[in-house]
Amino acid sequence: MPDGSAFYSTRQTDLIVKSKRKRFLLEFLRIILVVLIALGIGFIITLFVSDEPVAAFKALLTGPLPKISFEGGFHIKGINRFGNWMEESITLILLGLAVSIVFKAKQFSLGADGQLILGALAAGVVALYVDAPLPIHIGLALVAAMVAGFLWGLIPGILKAYIDVDEIVSTLMLNVIAIQFYQLVLVQWLRDPTAGFIGTPFFPKTAILPLVIPGTRVTIALFIMLASVFVVWFLMERTTFGYEIKVIGANRKFAEYGGVNTKRVIALSMAVSGIFAGLAGVHLSMGLLKRLTLNMSPGIGFEGIVVALLARNNPIGVLIAGLFYGYLRTGAQIMERSSDVTREVVLIIQAIIILLITAERLFPLFQEWWLRRKLSAELDSNVPEEEAAR
Amino acid sequence: MSFETVLASIFSAAFIASVLRVSTPIILAALGGLLSELAGVINIALEGIMLGAAFAGVMVSAFAPQWFPGLPVWVFPWIGVLAGIITGIILAWLLAFFHLELGADIILAALGINILAAGGTVFLMYSITGDKGSTSTLASPAIPNIVIPFVNNIPFVGTLLNAENLTGYNVFTYVALIMTVLITIFLYKMPLGAHLRAVGENPDAAASVGINVKRVRYYALLASGVLAALGGLNLSMGYLTIFQANMTAGRGFIALAVIYLGNRNPIGTVIAALIFGAATSLGAQLGTLSVPPQLIEMIPPAVTVIALVIYNLRKRAQIVANARKFQERAEKA
Repeated sequence: MPDGSAFYSTRQTDLIVKSKRKRFLLEFLRIILVVLIALGIGFIITLFVSDEPVAAFKALLTGPLPKISFEGGFHIKGINRFGNWMEESITLILLGLAVSIVFKAKQFSLGADGQLILGALAAGVVALYVDAPLPIHIGLALVAAMVAGFLWGLIPGILKAYIDVDEIVSTLMLNVIAIQFYQLVLVQWLRDPTAGFIGTPFFPKTAILPLVIPGTRVTIALFIMLASVFVVWFLMERTTFGYEIKVIGANRKFAEYGGVNTKRVIALSMAVSGIFAGLAGVHLSMGLLKRLTLNMSPGIGFEGIVVALLARNNPIGVLIAGLFYGYLRTGAQIMERSSDVTREVVLIIQAIIILLITAERLFPLFQEWWLRRKLSAELDSNVPEEEAAR
Repeated sequence: MSFETVLASIFSAAFIASVLRVSTPIILAALGGLLSELAGVINIALEGIMLGAAFAGVMVSAFAPQWFPGLPVWVFPWIGVLAGIITGIILAWLLAFFHLELGADIILAALGINILAAGGTVFLMYSITGDKGSTSTLASPAIPNIVIPFVNNIPFVGTLLNAENLTGYNVFTYVALIMTVLITIFLYKMPLGAHLRAVGENPDAAASVGINVKRVRYYALLASGVLAALGGLNLSMGYLTIFQANMTAGRGFIALAVIYLGNRNPIGTVIAALIFGAATSLGAQLGTLSVPPQLIEMIPPAVTVIALVIYNLRKRAQIVANARKFQERAEKA
């Protein structure tokens, strides 16, 4: 392919780069604006139900930050809150990556929930039944979870790509099957009969992710997450597969005419997405809980959607959006503990973010309205002068 | 309980009655989803609309005696139903507005609505009752059952027509059956129904003959909101008389699957919904044997996926057969 400079003069390339940068900036501003509006609406709702709305919202917005105090020497308080933020964000970023891959190919696979739970199950089985020294044991569990996620994503992928089965319906159904299967295995075979609730025994030490920040539950899942962000970035920006995903997302027919094996790429995009959902399952089971429990992650798979949307399916964006949304979720938990407002207010904020971000015509409409108002104001001020001139 | 007794209970009027009862909310929501699906606007928000309506129905009917003290007691549940339907319309309108006016992707916007309903109901429930799990502290009324007179003494027919305890089926079950008939007539015998299907088949062609595509899609989505709301109300005011957090438990998504399983027509949709209901009722029966309930819970979603695969394979084979016929005819000519 010819180099871009062969087509465009330097001035033109300059303009293209500038307009690209401008568009990126506008998009960024738009997302910030949406988040601010959503938080604003959230605050207004809080005003109606709370006796202390300001304190509640302060807990939501500043809760997850550790407090540094200098009384009696320097020490940091609330490191566990900071830890909660990181724990939450790791899950959300991995799920956001999973969702962003399928969304990039314009596939509305909602299967992250099922892939996560089967990833956790696969990791749990390896953790409990395989005996190996530390790094190998964890490595095996990771591979098992990734394979489980991959395969559970491959099923709807193949069904969609080769026989056109609607992926929304199939993934939602496969989620139900996965969750029931998980509970079946847990109740029938893996449960610890001595425990007071349904759950496996704790994993052996060799199958628990090593801690990174003491005083929290932040484990090497942090590095797994960062590596995943890099891998997805590399996949999307530097490989043929990623390029093909993007072309299919932009225009499937064009991709087909261009010689892309669209069926294979669509099926694989859903499967690859499952890998990262599976890793989120590892983080939950081997990092946070250190065992499998019956209701490990009610519906968390859907939370990746808002992250991917905020990030515009960009992996680096997923990192930032995941940290932001994790912050909000942690803040909501702290708010719930310290005030009379429930954490569900954050779901309302999330819903507003999703609605406003997907509303593509909202801001152009607003822009148009504003321009028209400006224009008519100018006309109004000009008309009398012209008439006077006559 | 032995296997034979389970078998016997399956082939009984009581089993049919229980299937009907379990299927009602799914039938209602699926009929709504069918209307919007046929108009070319898939409604993933059925789940959220059901949940929102179920909540509004319980809340308003529980507080109605305080708000309207003069009214007779039997009116209060119906005020709740009205509130639920209005909630369903508002949520469906929100979806329609964001999709049709603001260009939002209908799937993502609907997921937003679902999250709004899931979060909003728990948020409001906690703010009003102080409980996050259910509205058990409120006394909310039920929508009554309809008992068909004179048949109770006939052995099989009595149970069939008036359910297991001969106390009749809920009003919602009858509404679901009537709606099935009405929607079939609407879709295939009325001009607006034909317009709706045309808009879904080919919006450009429909627009070119003067059909207002946007308006038809508005109507379809709002109608799906009303029907899904009735499905949700059935859960919280018929099935139970209480609202529980996330009480729809995926029924809205099952309704969506049922539409495809039923080959996107009303009768097929109802049959598919009944199959789902039968699988759930069967689960309840088999639960008394040593079959793990999770295994049975897997049957309906698995059946859906398999049925979709078979349906699509057959459709594909049909297209290939048609193409071959066309080719043969072309060669002859």
